[in-house]
Amino acid sequence: MIELRNVTKKFGGNKAVDDLSLSVPAGQIFGLLGHNGAGKSTAIGMMLGQVWPTAGEISVCGHEVTRDRERALRKVGAIFEAPAFYNELSGRRNLEILSYYTAPTPDARIQEVVDWVGLGERIKDRVKTYSHGMRARLALGQALLPRPELLILDEPSDGLDPEGIHEMRQTILRLHRELGLTILLSSHLLVEVEQVCQSIAVMNHGRKVFQGTLAETRRNGGWLRLRVGAFAEAVKILRETGLITQERDGQFVLPAEGAESDQLVERLVERRQRVYEIAPEEETLEGFYLSLMKK
Amino acid sequence: MIYYQLRNELWKMFGKKRTYIGFGAFLAAHATILMLFRFWKGPRLDMSRRLELLGFDSAKYISNITMAVAVIIPVALLLMPLYVALVGGDLLAKEAEDGTLRMILARPISRFRLALVKWMCGLIFSFVLALMLGGLGAIVASCLFPSGGLFAFLPMDNIFSVFDPADGWRRYIVVTLMLTVTASTIMGLALMFSCFNIKPAAATILALSVFLTSRIIQELPYFHDLQPWFPTYHMGFWMWLFEERVPWPQIFKSLSYLAGFNLTMLIIGCAGFQVRDIKS
Repeated sequence: MIELRNVTKKFGGNKAVDDLSLSVPAGQIFGLLGHNGAGKSTAIGMMLGQVWPTAGEISVCGHEVTRDRERALRKVGAIFEAPAFYNELSGRRNLEILSYYTAPTPDARIQEVVDWVGLGERIKDRVKTYSHGMRARLALGQALLPRPELLILDEPSDGLDPEGIHEMRQTILRLHRELGLTILLSSHLLVEVEQVCQSIAVMNHGRKVFQGTLAETRRNGGWLRLRVGAFAEAVKILRETGLITQERDGQFVLPAEGAESDQLVERLVERRQRVYEIAPEEETLEGFYLSLMKK
Repeated sequence: MIYYQLRNELWKMFGKKRTYIGFGAFLAAHATILMLFRFWKGPRLDMSRRLELLGFDSAKYISNITMAVAVIIPVALLLMPLYVALVGGDLLAKEAEDGTLRMILARPISRFRLALVKWMCGLIFSFVLALMLGGLGAIVASCLFPSGGLFAFLPMDNIFSVFDPADGWRRYIVVTLMLTVTASTIMGLALMFSCFNIKPAAATILALSVFLTSRIIQELPYFHDLQPWFPTYHMGFWMWLFEERVPWPQIFKSLSYLAGFNLTMLIIGCAGFQVRDIKS
Protein backbone atom coordinates (compact mmCIF):
# COMPACT_ATOMS: atom_id res chain seq x y z
CA MET A 1 0.00 0.00 0.00
CA ILE A 2 2.91 2.34 0.80
CA GLU A 3 6.40 1.88 -0.65
CA LEU A 4 9.35 4.11 0.11
CA ARG A 5 12.53 3.35 -1.81
CA ASN A 6 15.82 4.88 -0.66
CA VAL A 7 14.14 8.10 0.38
CA THR A 8 16.25 10.92 1.72
CA LYS A 9 15.11 14.35 2.85
CA LYS A 10 17.52 17.13 3.70
CA PHE A 11 16.59 20.43 5.32
CA GLY A 12 19.62 22.57 4.62
CA GLY A 13 22.55 20.43 5.72
CA ASN A 14 20.48 18.25 8.06
CA LYS A 15 19.25 14.86 6.94
CA ALA A 16 15.78 14.49 8.45
CA VAL A 17 15.28 11.16 6.66
CA ASP A 18 18.26 9.15 5.51
CA ASP A 19 17.95 6.46 2.82
CA LEU A 20 14.64 5.16 4.13
CA SER A 21 13.09 2.12 2.48
CA LEU A 22 9.78 1.03 3.89
CA SER A 23 6.95 -1.19 2.82
CA VAL A 24 3.48 -1.09 4.38
CA PRO A 25 1.44 -4.10 3.22
CA ALA A 26 -2.28 -3.75 2.49
CA GLY A 27 -4.71 -4.75 5.24
CA GLN A 28 -2.32 -4.25 8.15
CA ILE A 29 -2.08 -1.86 11.06
CA PHE A 30 1.52 -0.76 10.72
CA GLY A 31 3.33 1.16 13.43
CA LEU A 32 5.99 3.75 12.75
CA LEU A 33 8.02 4.27 15.89
CA GLY A 34 10.75 6.68 16.79
CA HIS A 35 11.79 9.41 19.19
CA ASN A 36 10.83 13.05 18.65
CA GLY A 37 12.76 14.27 15.62
CA ALA A 38 13.42 10.75 14.35
CA GLY A 39 11.91 11.68 10.99
CA LYS A 40 8.46 10.05 11.30
CA SER A 41 6.44 13.17 10.50
CA THR A 42 8.78 14.09 7.65
CA ALA A 43 8.36 10.58 6.23
CA ILE A 44 4.56 10.93 6.52
CA GLY A 45 4.75 14.39 4.96
CA MET A 46 6.55 12.86 1.99
CA MET A 47 3.94 10.10 1.69
CA LEU A 48 1.25 12.79 1.45
CA GLY A 49 3.17 14.97 -1.00
CA GLN A 50 3.51 17.76 1.55
CA VAL A 51 7.27 17.45 1.81
CA TRP A 52 9.31 16.85 -1.31
CA PRO A 53 12.00 14.18 -1.03
CA THR A 54 15.60 15.11 -1.83
CA ALA A 55 16.12 11.62 -3.28
CA GLY A 56 14.22 8.35 -3.63
CA GLU A 57 10.77 7.26 -4.69
CA ILE A 58 7.48 7.11 -2.82
CA SER A 59 4.47 5.18 -3.97
CA VAL A 60 1.04 5.26 -2.28
CA CYS A 61 -1.87 3.08 -3.42
CA GLY A 62 0.17 2.15 -6.51
CA HIS A 63 0.90 5.72 -7.66
CA GLU A 64 4.10 7.74 -7.45
CA VAL A 65 3.39 10.61 -5.05
CA THR A 66 5.85 13.08 -6.57
CA ARG A 67 4.51 12.56 -10.10
CA ASP A 68 0.84 11.68 -9.56
CA ARG A 69 -0.09 13.01 -6.15
CA GLU A 70 -3.79 13.48 -6.92
CA ARG A 71 -4.32 9.83 -7.84
CA ALA A 72 -2.11 8.56 -5.05
CA LEU A 73 -4.15 10.38 -2.40
CA ARG A 74 -7.63 9.74 -3.77
CA LYS A 75 -8.26 6.88 -1.33
CA VAL A 76 -6.21 8.18 1.58
CA GLY A 77 -7.35 9.75 4.83
CA ALA A 78 -5.00 11.37 7.31
CA ILE A 79 -5.05 12.62 10.87
CA PHE A 80 -2.31 14.70 12.44
CA GLU A 81 -1.33 15.42 16.01
CA ALA A 82 -3.43 18.29 17.39
CA PRO A 83 -5.76 18.40 14.36
CA ALA A 84 -6.51 21.94 13.20
CA PHE A 85 -9.92 23.15 12.07
CA TYR A 86 -11.74 26.34 11.21
CA ASN A 87 -12.80 27.16 14.73
CA GLU A 88 -15.39 29.78 13.84
CA LEU A 89 -17.33 27.31 11.69
CA SER A 90 -19.45 24.34 12.73
CA GLY A 91 -18.12 20.81 12.72
CA ARG A 92 -20.38 19.97 9.81
CA ARG A 93 -19.15 22.96 7.78
CA ASN A 94 -15.57 21.86 8.48
CA LEU A 95 -16.36 18.39 7.17
CA GLU A 96 -17.95 19.85 4.03
CA ILE A 97 -15.00 22.15 3.39
CA LEU A 98 -12.37 19.45 3.81
CA SER A 99 -14.27 16.77 1.89
CA TYR A 100 -14.64 18.96 -1.19
CA TYR A 101 -10.87 19.02 -1.62
CA THR A 102 -11.25 15.36 -2.58
CA ALA A 103 -14.61 15.17 -4.33
CA PRO A 104 -18.19 16.43 -3.93
CA THR A 105 -19.63 14.63 -0.93
CA PRO A 106 -23.36 14.03 -0.50
CA ASP A 107 -25.03 15.10 2.76
CA ALA A 108 -25.99 11.50 3.44
CA ARG A 109 -22.31 10.47 3.43
CA ILE A 110 -21.43 13.28 5.83
CA GLN A 111 -24.25 12.22 8.14
CA GLU A 112 -23.11 8.59 7.93
CA VAL A 113 -19.60 9.58 9.03
CA VAL A 114 -20.93 11.86 11.78
CA ASP A 115 -22.93 8.92 13.13
CA TRP A 116 -19.92 6.60 12.82
CA VAL A 117 -17.66 8.86 14.88
CA GLY A 118 -20.48 9.62 17.33
CA LEU A 119 -20.53 13.42 17.17
CA GLY A 120 -24.33 13.52 17.03
CA GLU A 121 -26.00 16.90 17.37
CA ARG A 122 -22.74 18.60 18.42
CA ILE A 123 -21.73 18.56 14.76
CA LYS A 124 -23.83 21.71 14.36
CA ASP A 125 -21.81 23.59 17.01
CA ARG A 126 -18.77 25.72 16.33
CA VAL A 127 -15.53 23.78 16.55
CA LYS A 128 -14.12 26.28 19.05
CA THR A 129 -16.55 24.83 21.62
CA TYR A 130 -15.23 21.26 21.11
CA SER A 131 -13.12 19.35 23.63
CA HIS A 132 -9.88 17.58 22.61
CA GLY A 133 -11.77 14.32 22.29
CA MET A 134 -14.42 15.82 20.04
CA ARG A 135 -11.78 17.39 17.83
CA ALA A 136 -10.15 13.97 17.55
CA ARG A 137 -13.49 12.49 16.47
CA LEU A 138 -13.98 15.28 13.95
CA ALA A 139 -10.48 14.64 12.62
CA LEU A 140 -11.36 10.99 12.20
CA GLY A 141 -14.59 11.97 10.49
CA GLN A 142 -12.84 14.15 7.91
CA ALA A 143 -10.36 11.36 7.23
CA LEU A 144 -13.15 8.83 6.67
CA LEU A 145 -15.25 10.99 4.33
CA PRO A 146 -13.55 10.01 1.05
CA ARG A 147 -14.07 6.27 1.87
CA PRO A 148 -10.32 5.71 2.23
CA GLU A 149 -8.49 2.43 1.79
CA LEU A 150 -5.47 3.77 3.62
CA LEU A 151 -5.50 5.80 6.82
CA ILE A 152 -2.38 7.65 7.94
CA LEU A 153 -2.40 8.59 11.60
CA ASP A 154 0.40 10.87 12.78
CA GLU A 155 0.48 10.86 16.58
CA PRO A 156 -3.34 10.71 16.81
CA SER A 157 -3.36 10.34 20.60
CA ASP A 158 -1.27 13.43 21.29
CA GLY A 159 -2.99 15.71 23.77
CA LEU A 160 -5.72 13.20 24.66
CA ASP A 161 -6.44 12.13 28.24
CA PRO A 162 -6.16 8.41 29.19
CA GLU A 163 -9.82 7.81 28.32
CA GLY A 164 -9.34 9.55 25.00
CA ILE A 165 -6.25 7.45 24.27
CA HIS A 166 -8.18 4.28 25.08
CA GLU A 167 -11.06 5.40 22.86
CA MET A 168 -8.66 6.20 20.02
CA ARG A 169 -7.06 2.77 20.33
CA GLN A 170 -10.43 1.05 20.21
CA THR A 171 -11.42 3.18 17.22
CA ILE A 172 -8.28 2.18 15.31
CA LEU A 173 -9.05 -1.49 15.91
CA ARG A 174 -12.68 -0.92 14.92
CA LEU A 175 -11.64 0.82 11.70
CA HIS A 176 -9.44 -2.11 10.81
CA ARG A 177 -12.04 -4.69 11.76
CA GLU A 178 -15.19 -3.08 10.33
CA LEU A 179 -13.86 -1.14 7.36
CA GLY A 180 -10.84 -3.27 6.52
CA LEU A 181 -8.55 -0.26 6.28
CA THR A 182 -4.81 -0.36 6.01
CA ILE A 183 -3.55 1.89 8.79
CA LEU A 184 -0.17 3.52 9.23
CA LEU A 185 0.13 4.64 12.84
CA SER A 186 2.99 6.92 13.78
CA SER A 187 3.41 7.11 17.51
CA HIS A 188 5.82 7.18 20.37
CA LEU A 189 3.29 5.55 22.68
CA LEU A 190 4.76 2.04 22.73
CA VAL A 191 1.80 0.54 24.58
CA GLU A 192 -0.56 1.85 21.93
CA VAL A 193 1.54 0.41 19.12
CA GLU A 194 1.98 -2.89 20.95
CA GLN A 195 -1.77 -3.26 21.39
CA VAL A 196 -2.93 -2.42 17.90
CA CYS A 197 -0.15 -2.99 15.35
CA GLN A 198 0.81 -6.16 13.54
CA SER A 199 4.08 -4.88 12.08
CA ILE A 200 6.34 -1.98 12.93
CA ALA A 201 9.26 0.02 11.66
CA VAL A 202 11.53 1.88 14.04
CA MET A 203 13.33 5.07 13.07
CA ASN A 204 16.31 6.60 14.81
CA HIS A 205 17.82 9.89 13.65
CA GLY A 206 16.24 9.63 10.21
CA ARG A 207 17.26 6.04 9.56
CA LYS A 208 15.18 2.89 9.75
CA VAL A 209 16.73 0.61 12.35
CA PHE A 210 14.12 -2.16 12.31
CA GLN A 211 11.17 -3.39 10.28
CA GLY A 212 9.29 -6.57 11.11
CA THR A 213 6.31 -8.09 12.80
CA LEU A 214 5.49 -7.48 16.41
CA ALA A 215 6.11 -11.19 17.06
CA GLU A 216 9.70 -10.73 15.87
CA THR A 217 10.27 -7.97 18.38
CA ARG A 218 9.19 -10.30 21.18
CA ARG A 219 11.73 -13.01 20.34
CA ASN A 220 14.64 -12.59 22.63
CA GLY A 221 17.63 -14.60 21.48
CA GLY A 222 16.15 -17.98 22.38
CA TRP A 223 16.02 -17.53 26.16
CA LEU A 224 13.47 -19.67 27.99
CA ARG A 225 11.68 -18.78 31.16
CA LEU A 226 11.90 -21.74 33.49
CA ARG A 227 9.79 -22.01 36.65
CA VAL A 228 10.86 -24.95 38.77
CA GLY A 229 10.89 -25.96 42.43
CA ALA A 230 14.65 -25.27 42.77
CA PHE A 231 16.13 -23.13 40.01
CA ALA A 232 19.79 -23.49 41.07
CA GLU A 233 19.51 -27.29 41.25
CA ALA A 234 17.76 -27.42 37.86
CA VAL A 235 20.48 -25.27 36.26
CA LYS A 236 23.16 -27.57 37.68
CA ILE A 237 21.43 -30.65 36.17
CA LEU A 238 20.93 -29.02 32.78
CA ARG A 239 24.54 -27.76 32.63
CA GLU A 240 25.89 -31.23 33.54
CA THR A 241 23.94 -32.73 30.67
CA GLY A 242 24.98 -29.94 28.26
CA LEU A 243 21.39 -28.86 27.53
CA ILE A 244 21.90 -25.18 28.47
CA THR A 245 24.78 -22.78 28.11
CA GLN A 246 23.71 -19.83 30.28
CA GLU A 247 21.27 -18.79 33.00
CA ARG A 248 20.23 -15.40 34.39
CA ASP A 249 17.94 -13.59 36.78
CA GLY A 250 16.96 -16.79 38.60
CA GLN A 251 14.36 -17.69 35.95
CA PHE A 252 15.87 -17.69 32.45
CA VAL A 253 18.01 -20.33 30.71
CA LEU A 254 19.60 -20.33 27.26
CA PRO A 255 19.36 -23.78 25.63
CA ALA A 256 22.44 -25.22 23.92
CA GLU A 257 22.32 -25.48 20.16
CA GLY A 258 19.90 -28.22 19.13
CA ALA A 259 18.38 -28.57 22.59
CA GLU A 260 14.60 -28.28 22.69
CA SER A 261 12.43 -27.32 25.63
CA ASP A 262 10.84 -30.82 25.84
CA GLN A 263 14.31 -32.33 26.33
CA LEU A 264 14.96 -29.92 29.18
CA VAL A 265 11.69 -30.83 30.85
CA GLU A 266 12.26 -34.56 30.33
CA ARG A 267 15.71 -34.40 31.96
CA LEU A 268 14.46 -32.38 34.92
CA VAL A 269 11.52 -34.71 35.52
CA GLU A 270 13.86 -37.70 35.33
CA ARG A 271 15.92 -36.07 38.10
CA ARG A 272 12.72 -35.53 40.13
CA GLN A 273 12.62 -31.76 39.73
CA ARG A 274 9.23 -30.04 39.83
CA VAL A 275 8.64 -28.13 36.58
CA TYR A 276 5.83 -25.58 36.67
CA GLU A 277 6.39 -23.67 33.45
CA ILE A 278 8.76 -23.45 30.52
CA ALA A 279 8.15 -20.87 27.80
CA PRO A 280 10.11 -18.66 25.41
CA GLU A 281 10.98 -15.33 26.97
CA GLU A 282 8.95 -12.59 25.31
CA GLU A 283 10.54 -9.19 25.38
CA THR A 284 8.28 -6.15 25.73
CA LEU A 285 8.18 -3.69 22.87
CA GLU A 286 9.61 -1.13 25.24
CA GLY A 287 12.62 -3.32 25.97
CA PHE A 288 13.08 -4.05 22.30
CA TYR A 289 12.75 -0.36 21.35
CA LEU A 290 15.21 0.77 24.01
CA SER A 291 17.74 -1.84 22.94
CA LEU A 292 17.48 -0.52 19.36
CA MET A 293 17.96 3.05 20.50
CA LYS A 294 21.10 2.11 22.44
CA LYS A 295 22.74 0.58 19.37
CA MET B 1 -15.94 21.31 -8.43
CA ILE B 2 -14.00 24.57 -8.47
CA TYR B 3 -17.29 26.34 -7.70
CA TYR B 4 -17.69 24.34 -4.48
CA GLN B 5 -14.07 24.86 -3.53
CA LEU B 6 -14.45 28.59 -4.08
CA ARG B 7 -17.67 28.59 -2.06
CA ASN B 8 -15.82 26.82 0.75
CA GLU B 9 -13.01 29.38 0.66
CA LEU B 10 -15.61 32.13 0.95
CA TRP B 11 -17.20 30.37 3.93
CA LYS B 12 -13.80 30.29 5.57
CA MET B 13 -12.99 33.90 4.76
CA PHE B 14 -16.32 35.37 5.80
CA GLY B 15 -16.43 33.13 8.87
CA LYS B 16 -13.47 35.04 10.32
CA LYS B 17 -13.98 38.25 12.30
CA ARG B 18 -10.87 39.94 10.93
CA THR B 19 -12.39 39.88 7.44
CA TYR B 20 -14.87 42.47 8.65
CA ILE B 21 -12.32 44.81 10.24
CA GLY B 22 -11.94 46.68 6.94
CA PHE B 23 -15.67 47.23 6.59
CA GLY B 24 -15.88 48.63 10.12
CA ALA B 25 -12.81 50.80 9.57
CA PHE B 26 -14.28 52.22 6.35
CA LEU B 27 -17.50 53.11 8.12
CA ALA B 28 -15.61 54.77 10.97
CA ALA B 29 -13.31 56.68 8.57
CA HIS B 30 -16.20 57.84 6.39
CA ALA B 31 -18.23 58.95 9.39
CA THR B 32 -15.29 60.79 11.00
CA ILE B 33 -14.17 62.61 7.85
CA LEU B 34 -17.68 63.51 6.74
CA MET B 35 -18.70 64.71 10.20
CA LEU B 36 -15.64 67.00 10.16
CA PHE B 37 -16.71 68.32 6.75
CA ARG B 38 -20.26 68.75 8.00
CA PHE B 39 -19.63 70.44 11.32
CA TRP B 40 -16.33 72.24 10.78
CA LYS B 41 -16.64 75.18 8.45
CA GLY B 42 -12.96 75.52 7.42
CA PRO B 43 -12.78 72.78 4.75
CA ARG B 44 -16.16 73.71 3.27
CA LEU B 45 -15.19 77.39 3.02
CA ASP B 46 -11.97 76.38 1.28
CA MET B 47 -13.95 74.26 -1.16
CA SER B 48 -16.48 77.08 -1.78
CA ARG B 49 -13.67 79.56 -2.42
CA ARG B 50 -12.07 77.31 -5.04
CA LEU B 51 -15.42 76.77 -6.81
CA GLU B 52 -16.37 80.44 -6.76
CA LEU B 53 -12.97 81.47 -8.10
CA LEU B 54 -13.84 79.46 -11.20
CA GLY B 55 -17.32 80.94 -11.38
CA PHE B 56 -19.34 77.98 -10.03
CA ASP B 57 -22.18 78.20 -7.54
CA SER B 58 -20.65 76.48 -4.51
CA ALA B 59 -24.07 75.69 -2.96
CA LYS B 60 -24.82 73.39 -5.93
CA TYR B 61 -21.59 71.45 -5.64
CA ILE B 62 -21.03 71.05 -1.91
CA SER B 63 -23.17 67.94 -2.03
CA ASN B 64 -23.38 64.28 -1.05
CA ILE B 65 -21.54 63.11 -4.19
CA THR B 66 -18.73 65.69 -3.78
CA MET B 67 -18.25 64.64 -0.18
CA ALA B 68 -18.44 60.93 -1.03
CA VAL B 69 -15.65 61.41 -3.59
CA ALA B 70 -13.64 63.58 -1.19
CA VAL B 71 -13.73 60.80 1.37
CA ILE B 72 -13.21 57.67 -0.77
CA ILE B 73 -10.02 59.01 -2.38
CA PRO B 74 -7.88 59.14 0.80
CA VAL B 75 -9.53 56.02 2.20
CA ALA B 76 -8.87 54.10 -1.05
CA LEU B 77 -5.28 55.32 -1.18
CA LEU B 78 -4.37 54.73 2.45
CA LEU B 79 -6.80 52.45 4.29
CA MET B 80 -7.93 50.07 1.58
CA PRO B 81 -4.39 48.71 0.88
CA LEU B 82 -4.00 47.96 4.57
CA TYR B 83 -7.12 45.82 4.86
CA VAL B 84 -6.76 44.09 1.55
CA ALA B 85 -3.13 43.22 2.38
CA LEU B 86 -4.24 41.96 5.78
CA VAL B 87 -6.70 39.52 4.24
CA GLY B 88 -4.44 38.61 1.28
CA GLY B 89 -1.51 37.89 3.61
CA ASP B 90 -3.72 35.53 5.60
CA LEU B 91 -4.99 33.51 2.66
CA LEU B 92 -2.33 30.79 2.70
CA ALA B 93 0.11 31.77 5.43
CA LYS B 94 -2.59 31.72 8.11
CA GLU B 95 -3.68 28.24 7.04
CA ALA B 96 -0.06 27.11 7.30
CA GLU B 97 0.32 28.76 10.69
CA ASP B 98 -2.93 27.26 12.05
CA GLY B 99 -2.14 23.79 10.70
CA THR B 100 -5.19 23.58 8.45
CA LEU B 101 -2.98 23.64 5.35
CA ARG B 102 -1.66 20.19 6.30
CA MET B 103 -5.25 18.97 6.58
CA ILE B 104 -6.03 20.35 3.12
CA LEU B 105 -2.88 19.02 1.49
CA ALA B 106 -3.52 15.55 2.84
CA ARG B 107 -6.18 15.53 0.12
CA PRO B 108 -5.78 15.13 -3.61
CA ILE B 109 -6.00 18.81 -4.52
CA SER B 110 -3.10 20.27 -6.45
CA ARG B 111 -1.27 23.17 -4.89
CA PHE B 112 -1.79 25.22 -8.04
CA ARG B 113 -5.53 24.73 -7.84
CA LEU B 114 -5.58 25.63 -4.16
CA ALA B 115 -3.60 28.83 -4.78
CA LEU B 116 -5.87 29.67 -7.72
CA VAL B 117 -9.02 29.17 -5.64
CA LYS B 118 -7.50 31.34 -2.90
CA TRP B 119 -6.71 34.03 -5.47
CA MET B 120 -10.28 33.93 -6.79
CA CYS B 121 -11.56 34.20 -3.25
CA GLY B 122 -9.30 37.22 -2.71
CA LEU B 123 -10.66 38.73 -5.91
CA ILE B 124 -14.23 38.41 -4.61
CA PHE B 125 -13.18 39.91 -1.29
CA SER B 126 -11.55 42.83 -3.16
CA PHE B 127 -14.81 43.39 -5.02
CA VAL B 128 -16.87 43.32 -1.83
CA LEU B 129 -14.40 45.63 -0.10
CA ALA B 130 -14.53 48.11 -2.99
CA LEU B 131 -18.34 47.99 -2.94
CA MET B 132 -18.36 48.61 0.79
CA LEU B 133 -15.94 51.50 0.38
CA GLY B 134 -18.03 53.15 -2.32
CA GLY B 135 -21.38 52.16 -0.85
CA LEU B 136 -20.66 53.31 2.70
CA GLY B 137 -19.19 56.58 1.36
CA ALA B 138 -22.35 57.27 -0.62
CA ILE B 139 -24.67 56.34 2.25
CA VAL B 140 -22.90 58.34 4.96
CA ALA B 141 -22.46 61.37 2.65
CA SER B 142 -26.14 61.25 1.67
CA CYS B 143 -27.12 61.25 5.34
CA LEU B 144 -25.10 64.39 6.04
CA PHE B 145 -25.20 66.45 2.81
CA PRO B 146 -27.85 67.48 0.29
CA SER B 147 -27.99 66.23 -3.30
CA GLY B 148 -26.14 68.18 -5.95
CA GLY B 149 -23.41 68.11 -8.56
CA LEU B 150 -19.94 66.64 -8.24
CA PHE B 151 -16.88 68.78 -7.68
CA ALA B 152 -13.82 66.53 -8.05
CA PHE B 153 -10.58 68.08 -6.85
CA LEU B 154 -7.47 65.87 -7.02
CA PRO B 155 -4.47 68.21 -6.92
CA MET B 156 -1.89 65.37 -7.16
CA ASP B 157 -3.27 64.37 -10.55
CA ASN B 158 -4.09 67.94 -11.58
CA ILE B 159 -7.80 67.11 -11.71
CA PHE B 160 -10.33 69.86 -11.07
CA SER B 161 -13.70 68.99 -12.58
CA VAL B 162 -17.38 69.59 -12.05
CA PHE B 163 -20.20 67.30 -13.18
CA ASP B 164 -23.98 67.33 -12.96
CA PRO B 165 -25.44 64.90 -10.36
CA ALA B 166 -26.27 62.09 -12.84
CA ASP B 167 -22.82 62.15 -14.47
CA GLY B 168 -21.21 62.45 -11.07
CA TRP B 169 -22.95 59.37 -9.66
CA ARG B 170 -22.26 57.43 -12.85
CA ARG B 171 -18.55 58.13 -12.50
CA TYR B 172 -18.68 57.37 -8.80
CA ILE B 173 -20.18 53.91 -9.48
CA VAL B 174 -17.58 53.13 -12.15
CA VAL B 175 -14.79 54.26 -9.82
CA THR B 176 -16.18 52.05 -7.06
CA LEU B 177 -16.16 49.06 -9.40
CA MET B 178 -12.68 49.92 -10.69
CA LEU B 179 -11.32 50.05 -7.15
CA THR B 180 -11.68 46.26 -7.28
CA VAL B 181 -8.73 46.17 -9.69
CA THR B 182 -6.54 48.20 -7.34
CA ALA B 183 -7.63 46.19 -4.31
CA SER B 184 -7.12 42.85 -6.07
CA THR B 185 -3.62 43.88 -7.16
CA ILE B 186 -2.57 44.55 -3.57
CA MET B 187 -4.33 41.36 -2.55
CA GLY B 188 -2.43 39.44 -5.25
CA LEU B 189 0.83 40.89 -3.98
CA ALA B 190 0.03 39.83 -0.40
CA LEU B 191 -1.11 36.39 -1.57
CA MET B 192 2.15 35.94 -3.46
CA PHE B 193 4.12 36.49 -0.25
CA SER B 194 1.61 34.32 1.62
CA CYS B 195 2.51 31.41 -0.68
CA PHE B 196 6.03 31.30 0.74
CA ASN B 197 7.07 29.92 4.07
CA ILE B 198 6.45 33.07 6.13
CA LYS B 199 4.06 34.23 8.84
CA PRO B 200 0.80 35.93 7.77
CA ALA B 201 1.86 39.22 9.39
CA ALA B 202 5.13 39.11 7.42
CA ALA B 203 3.22 38.57 4.16
CA THR B 204 1.00 41.57 4.94
CA ILE B 205 3.93 43.78 5.92
CA LEU B 206 5.94 42.81 2.84
CA ALA B 207 3.01 43.56 0.53
CA LEU B 208 2.45 46.92 2.20
CA SER B 209 6.19 47.67 2.05
CA VAL B 210 6.26 47.04 -1.70
CA PHE B 211 3.13 49.16 -2.15
CA LEU B 212 4.38 52.06 -0.02
CA THR B 213 7.90 52.01 -1.48
CA SER B 214 6.46 52.16 -4.96
CA ARG B 215 4.18 54.99 -3.85
CA ILE B 216 7.05 56.94 -2.24
CA ILE B 217 9.31 56.64 -5.29
CA GLN B 218 6.41 57.53 -7.57
CA GLU B 219 5.75 60.71 -5.60
CA LEU B 220 9.37 61.90 -5.56
CA PRO B 221 9.71 64.61 -8.20
CA TYR B 222 13.17 63.34 -9.21
CA PHE B 223 11.66 60.11 -10.53
CA HIS B 224 8.73 61.68 -12.32
CA ASP B 225 9.83 60.24 -15.68
CA LEU B 226 9.89 56.75 -14.21
CA GLN B 227 6.29 56.90 -12.93
CA PRO B 228 4.81 54.51 -15.52
CA TRP B 229 7.19 51.80 -14.28
CA PHE B 230 5.67 51.73 -10.82
CA PRO B 231 2.60 49.63 -10.02
CA THR B 232 1.12 52.28 -7.73
CA TYR B 233 1.01 54.74 -10.62
CA HIS B 234 -1.27 52.33 -12.52
CA MET B 235 -3.20 51.37 -9.39
CA GLY B 236 -4.38 54.98 -9.20
CA PHE B 237 -5.90 54.83 -12.71
CA TRP B 238 -9.43 55.10 -11.32
CA MET B 239 -8.78 58.73 -10.35
CA TRP B 240 -8.53 59.62 -14.05
CA LEU B 241 -12.24 58.77 -14.32
CA PHE B 242 -12.85 62.12 -12.61
CA GLU B 243 -11.21 64.00 -15.48
CA GLU B 244 -13.70 65.79 -17.67
CA ARG B 245 -12.45 63.91 -20.74
CA VAL B 246 -11.70 60.41 -19.51
CA PRO B 247 -8.30 59.27 -20.90
CA TRP B 248 -9.50 55.79 -21.88
CA PRO B 249 -6.32 54.73 -23.76
CA GLN B 250 -4.27 55.59 -20.68
CA ILE B 251 -6.75 53.69 -18.48
CA PHE B 252 -6.63 50.60 -20.68
CA LYS B 253 -2.84 50.77 -20.69
CA SER B 254 -2.86 50.79 -16.89
CA LEU B 255 -5.41 47.96 -16.78
CA SER B 256 -3.15 45.90 -19.08
CA TYR B 257 -0.15 46.67 -16.88
CA LEU B 258 -2.09 45.61 -13.78
CA ALA B 259 -3.35 42.42 -15.47
CA GLY B 260 0.25 41.49 -16.28
CA PHE B 261 1.38 42.44 -12.79
CA ASN B 262 -1.35 40.28 -11.22
CA LEU B 263 -0.55 37.33 -13.46
CA THR B 264 3.14 37.60 -12.62
CA MET B 265 2.39 37.69 -8.89
CA LEU B 266 0.12 34.66 -9.26
CA ILE B 267 2.73 32.68 -11.19
CA ILE B 268 5.53 33.54 -8.73
CA GLY B 269 3.25 32.69 -5.81
CA CYS B 270 2.15 29.37 -7.33
CA ALA B 271 5.75 28.43 -8.13
CA GLY B 272 6.88 29.26 -4.59
CA PHE B 273 3.94 27.36 -3.11
CA GLN B 274 4.58 24.35 -5.33
CA VAL B 275 8.20 23.84 -4.30
CA ARG B 276 7.93 24.55 -0.59
CA ASP B 277 7.62 21.87 2.07
CA ILE B 278 4.54 21.95 4.28
CA LYS B 279 5.54 20.98 7.80
CA SER B 280 3.75 21.16 11.14
